[in-house]
Amino acid sequence: MSDKIDSLIRRKISRRAALVGLSAGASFIAMPWVARAADDTIRIGFPTPLTGPYAAEAKDQVKSAELAVKLVNDKGGVAGRKVELLVRDGKLNGGEAATRTLELIEKDKVHAVVGALSSAVQLAVNEVTRARGVIYVSISQSDTINEVKDFSKYTFHEALNPHMTTAAVARHAIKKGNKVAHLVADYAYGHEMLRGFKRALTTIGAESVGELLHPIGAPDYSTLMPRLRAMKPDVLCISNFGRDQANSIKQAADFGMKQQMKIVVPVLLHNQRLAVGPEVFEGVVGGANYYWELEQQLPSAKAFNDAFRAANGGAIPTDYGAYGFTGISSLLLAMQAAGGPDTDKVVAALEGLKYDVAKGAQHYRKCDHQSVQSVLVLESKKKADMKSANDFFKIVENEKPSEDVLRSCKELGFPA
Amino acid sequence: MTTKSVPLATPVVPAKRPSSNLIATITSWRVLLSIAILCLLPWVLPSKALAVNVLIYGVLAMGYNLLFGYTGLLSFGHAAFFGAGAYITGIAIGQFGVPWYGAVLLGVVGGGVLAFVIGGLSIRTRGIYFSMVTLALAQLVYHVGLQASSWTGGENGLRGFTVAKIDLFGVSINFLDPVNKYYILMVFAALALWFVSRVLNSPFGAAIEAIRENETRARACGYDVERTKLLSFVLSGLICALAGTMSALHLAFVPLDVLHYQTSGMIVMMTLLGGASSFFGPFVGAFAFLLMEDVFSLWTSHWQIIVGSIFILFVLFLPKGIWGTFLAKVIR
Repeated sequence: MSDKIDSLIRRKISRRAALVGLSAGASFIAMPWVARAADDTIRIGFPTPLTGPYAAEAKDQVKSAELAVKLVNDKGGVAGRKVELLVRDGKLNGGEAATRTLELIEKDKVHAVVGALSSAVQLAVNEVTRARGVIYVSISQSDTINEVKDFSKYTFHEALNPHMTTAAVARHAIKKGNKVAHLVADYAYGHEMLRGFKRALTTIGAESVGELLHPIGAPDYSTLMPRLRAMKPDVLCISNFGRDQANSIKQAADFGMKQQMKIVVPVLLHNQRLAVGPEVFEGVVGGANYYWELEQQLPSAKAFNDAFRAANGGAIPTDYGAYGFTGISSLLLAMQAAGGPDTDKVVAALEGLKYDVAKGAQHYRKCDHQSVQSVLVLESKKKADMKSANDFFKIVENEKPSEDVLRSCKELGFPA
Repeated sequence: MTTKSVPLATPVVPAKRPSSNLIATITSWRVLLSIAILCLLPWVLPSKALAVNVLIYGVLAMGYNLLFGYTGLLSFGHAAFFGAGAYITGIAIGQFGVPWYGAVLLGVVGGGVLAFVIGGLSIRTRGIYFSMVTLALAQLVYHVGLQASSWTGGENGLRGFTVAKIDLFGVSINFLDPVNKYYILMVFAALALWFVSRVLNSPFGAAIEAIRENETRARACGYDVERTKLLSFVLSGLICALAGTMSALHLAFVPLDVLHYQTSGMIVMMTLLGGASSFFGPFVGAFAFLLMEDVFSLWTSHWQIIVGSIFILFVLFLPKGIWGTFLAKVIR
């Protein structure tokens, strides 16, 4: 074998062969750039955790994002240019999502990035886009991304944030003088929700009687339930996400906690209610950015639902799915207003944008680029009250969009 | 009767391993050849970000290979050194305003100190117990990273230390440019390659291989086995910490996941895939692993099934890994 390699190495290469090889190599290297320069498609990167515990929510986001792009392309695109969505798997891992985002920016030359589904991962993506001056529309809950330390001129936060969500839920589910216990997932999302609830309780005049932390992805809560019951609360706030929400509520119901206290969650998840059924979730109150029955109140919700049903075989859009739609739609509206994907013009357009694409009026606050929007407070229905298979929740309240429910720009550290 | 023993013949030259000239040439030029291959990498891979990752994880696996492949110690805790290098570099730049080269140095030294502590505690055990102790100690480091959130950013990860340009000898280089970034980080990789090659060629390199082959005999030959193991552990930790600092400079972000035991598992997987106890194998392993991940995850969200199956096939049929098998074929 080594002889063969020896003879290969020793063989003389003719000049012609060398020239052919060199030019072939050079054209191979140059090819992607040559191809890129010719097309004028507007490309939007969409890193999202297609694998991992939040995969169900992520896939809903992709469906809605694709719908938003399709609707715009059907009408002729943005300023006559087609829009393309590049979906990448961020694997619910900050490093991975940051790498995918780098690839999207450096190799695919995207004009903007939308996505990430985790309070931690969006901060990683934000770090990459911020350093390179690329527009990023984040569609996952976070309080940190609003604060001045992580702020970027190019970043817009389309999702609700824990502060506004917990405040709205607490206002409608917790009364003055109530005793409140907390069960919290031990990571950023849980901690931010807990902080939000505690702050809201002080405003309302309710009392926190204790908190228990559980690791993310915990399957068993049976040791925690008796301890929570021993705190004798009127309300139990369960601040966790995804599968953890369904598991913890199910076990609280098994322990008969619901007879003694009301269960409140910051975000009432459509997919989790779907996974465990109406009996378990009955009476649980929580917040949401979107619920499909808004279509009875809002023409924009009706239009979004109808388009989604038509594209997805009659299925309805979910809460986290809707973020994909509103996030992409607001960006494309701004690009249309700016007449193309020029970053500075689109940033200016986003700052001045007033849009209603699915859930009523929205706009981005000037100082921190947080989307000012309505917050829904939902209550899970009894099986007997459900009018259709998807009729999960009753809309307790649709809080009107207001900057007053956000932390003030000064508190976030922005100059007044 | 005489007791004096006389050698049958005096060797004119020291014994040489039987191998062809080509192999001998490649081996003596292995550092420069490796660097030449790395120089080409960004132009053949689908993206520059992937090429940088091959560099970083190649250095990481190479550092790990020093301990696993050459000393024969299976550690499940090398994420701790990778993470320590990354966090220390990030904190030094972001919170203390240390220039980037100082931060890299601090990161490497910090990782080495941590390796000295963890190594000192774990090399008293052997076999599976060694693996478990390193895993447990690395988990301790993970929880420090999680809880000390005012320093590390906790679950949200460490942010706010972007190195946008690098000033070197009066020249300012745009570090955000992917090509510049690759070749600057490649200098670190080249240094690591040279260092590891030097270590393996030294008497110390022979000593650690002797320990891997037969610890009792190495002890009988008069080697201080514990000290040699500890030194190998610390050197391995230093290289892994260097990979950590490279990753911090590259992403300008340190996710908490770098300290997670899955990172330790990934290091083992890359090293095995490429070929443990071969010089260039870890780079080949990192290259193959990351390329598979990158390509398959574009096709399907079930990419882990494909990567897992390939890994199982390798363990069953090519236990020497890609590079190890290739070398064995060529030498034969």
